[in-house]
Amino acid sequence: MTDPEKAEVSRPTSGSIADIRYGFHLLKQNPLVIFGFAISIASLFIAAFANFIVDPNAWKHTDLSFRLCWNNPAINWGLVNIFNCGAQIYPLGTDSYGRDVLQMIILGIPLDVQIAIEIVTSAVIVGVVFGGIAAYAGGVVDEIILRITDIFLAIPGILLAIVLLVILGRSFGILTLAVAITWWPTYLRLMRSQVLGEKEKPYVESLKAMGAGPSRILFRHIVPNSIYPIFVQATLDIGGVILTVSALTFLGFTPNPLIPELGNLANDGIRYIFTAPWLIIFSGLTILIISLGFNLLGDGIRDVFDPRLRR
Amino acid sequence: MDESRLAAEEWLVKLYEYAIRRLILMVFVLFMLSLVVFYLTRGLLPPTSALSSYITPRMNDTAKLAVAQSLGVATSSCPSFTDFTRSTPGCVVPLWQQYFTWLRNVISGNWGYTLLPGISGTETTWNVFFSRFPYTAELAIAGAALTILIAIPFGIVSATHNNKLPDHVSRVISLGGYSVPQFWFGALAQILFVLYIRVNGLGFLPANGALATNCGICISDPGLVSQITGVPVLDGILSGNPSYLWDALVALALPSVTLAITSIGALTRIVRSSMMEVLRQDYILLARSKGLKDRVVIYRHALRNALLPAITISGLLTALLLGGAIVIEIVFSWPGVGNASLIAADVLDINFLELYVLVTALIIVATNLVVDLLYAKMDPRIRY
Repeated sequence: MTDPEKAEVSRPTSGSIADIRYGFHLLKQNPLVIFGFAISIASLFIAAFANFIVDPNAWKHTDLSFRLCWNNPAINWGLVNIFNCGAQIYPLGTDSYGRDVLQMIILGIPLDVQIAIEIVTSAVIVGVVFGGIAAYAGGVVDEIILRITDIFLAIPGILLAIVLLVILGRSFGILTLAVAITWWPTYLRLMRSQVLGEKEKPYVESLKAMGAGPSRILFRHIVPNSIYPIFVQATLDIGGVILTVSALTFLGFTPNPLIPELGNLANDGIRYIFTAPWLIIFSGLTILIISLGFNLLGDGIRDVFDPRLRR
Repeated sequence: MDESRLAAEEWLVKLYEYAIRRLILMVFVLFMLSLVVFYLTRGLLPPTSALSSYITPRMNDTAKLAVAQSLGVATSSCPSFTDFTRSTPGCVVPLWQQYFTWLRNVISGNWGYTLLPGISGTETTWNVFFSRFPYTAELAIAGAALTILIAIPFGIVSATHNNKLPDHVSRVISLGGYSVPQFWFGALAQILFVLYIRVNGLGFLPANGALATNCGICISDPGLVSQITGVPVLDGILSGNPSYLWDALVALALPSVTLAITSIGALTRIVRSSMMEVLRQDYILLARSKGLKDRVVIYRHALRNALLPAITISGLLTALLLGGAIVIEIVFSWPGVGNASLIAADVLDINFLELYVLVTALIIVATNLVVDLLYAKMDPRIRY
């Protein structure tokens, strides 16, 4: 921890390269951010290489004679009727289809991380484009776009996603769409407030004088200058999106209950909560760790890059 | 003196104008939302899905057609039910006309019949929904109360001990609460209290249900208490039956803590950042330099201003709680509307889903309006 007064003296002007480097310097000193960064990188690594760590077809091999068994001597659940699965050690037990829970969790991480990144990316794109247009055009366009976001903000995201999944069918594509539809208003509002401040700056005036068209001014100049709070918010949201997605698959909105996905595994686990508690405990713990990692990282970044909170 | 009174009156007039503008906007948002919900449920699904809660397999086609016509889905010139199911041109009423028929029914309180199994084949959607709604409301209010009681002290301590141990502890707890899957926390609580912490061989707290009889410390016989409001805790107070009240509270304990866990994380962060901003203001420095005690500066001078932004997120809080309630109700088998909505989703009971979405939206929009007006009343600096 640096002395806050010294930091104040050496603080560069806001927005410059030196400012960003100073920000990273502050980030490096916060142990929680380092921790979050490590978890995020680890989960992205597992997401990228899961198919090399575990046989990608392992989830298809169901064997009901090995269902819900536990023989890892490290944990004693203290339950009466635990089925022992014989010689081969399953470190996290087996699920109700007789598959290794550890393998299923590793195979499940890529799907969740991929869906979360897709959702955040599409929500950011929609929010940035329409938020930028709303703020730059102003007037009626602004009013119409804002009223449309009001409609989406009036329903809890998970409820809207459930209705969409019921109507459009249960698939991971629809799931991505349904959750993305509930997340874009946040980015739209953030982008709109950013552009509102940015468009009054002198360089926009001089661009107009040079004859640049509105779409060029907005997307080539204003948007790149005002987008970094959106990225911070996006990092902060990945954890929340993973929670929403897994909550939906936990509620049973999945195309196939056999597919290894963390919410799916938890859905299997809640049925056997008092006979095989390891199922829900470890699948939920994985979701908690991944989402905590991204939240710690995003929270630290926001604290450092928000000049109002920085000392 | 006169001038300031005039200014105050002018401000009040502006506040009323603002309130009326917001009220019109609220009606508009609800109207648009009903359009979206109607299009999603009736426009994207085949026209026969609107009939599902009215027709039985034993009905003949003439009777089915009569039902479709009375609901305003089939035209009166439609020759047969098969033509209707095949959507022959001129047989299905245009969607916008269906919408106005539906809207008229809905505004007059006629939400049709529900398909929900196990309740009754002839119950109206409205009755089924509002017989279950008190349980959800009870859960959400208990969750909100817990959130406020825990998050505000946490946020204050976190801001006043910025970057010291209490701040780090509170940061980890609030971020942990924000990152924990609610179904996992609920399941873990059940496993702990039912499997491992036991009294007289029974689970210490009930695993599920609003009024379970299987817990070790429950004392009353739920069948003996007359339902007045449908909310167990409120019924316990109104009927003057302390043992019933105790049981209702015991059953509420785990679900409400699980529900509150996410919003505690969110609210703590907001209280912390707004408190930190207020503590840096000049008037706090002035108060400190007058020699006032830290306690007085924090609780008398800073807290009142710091809590204002926290109040505005009550709208967000209600959305979080009502949305989270679905997962909690499933995990704890709570007999509320969220639990029923999943059954409704399975059997494609669109009447129930429509009512659920629109009632939830009405609650959230109305809360936002009330909060914004309260905010204007409490903070005289705000002008409209």
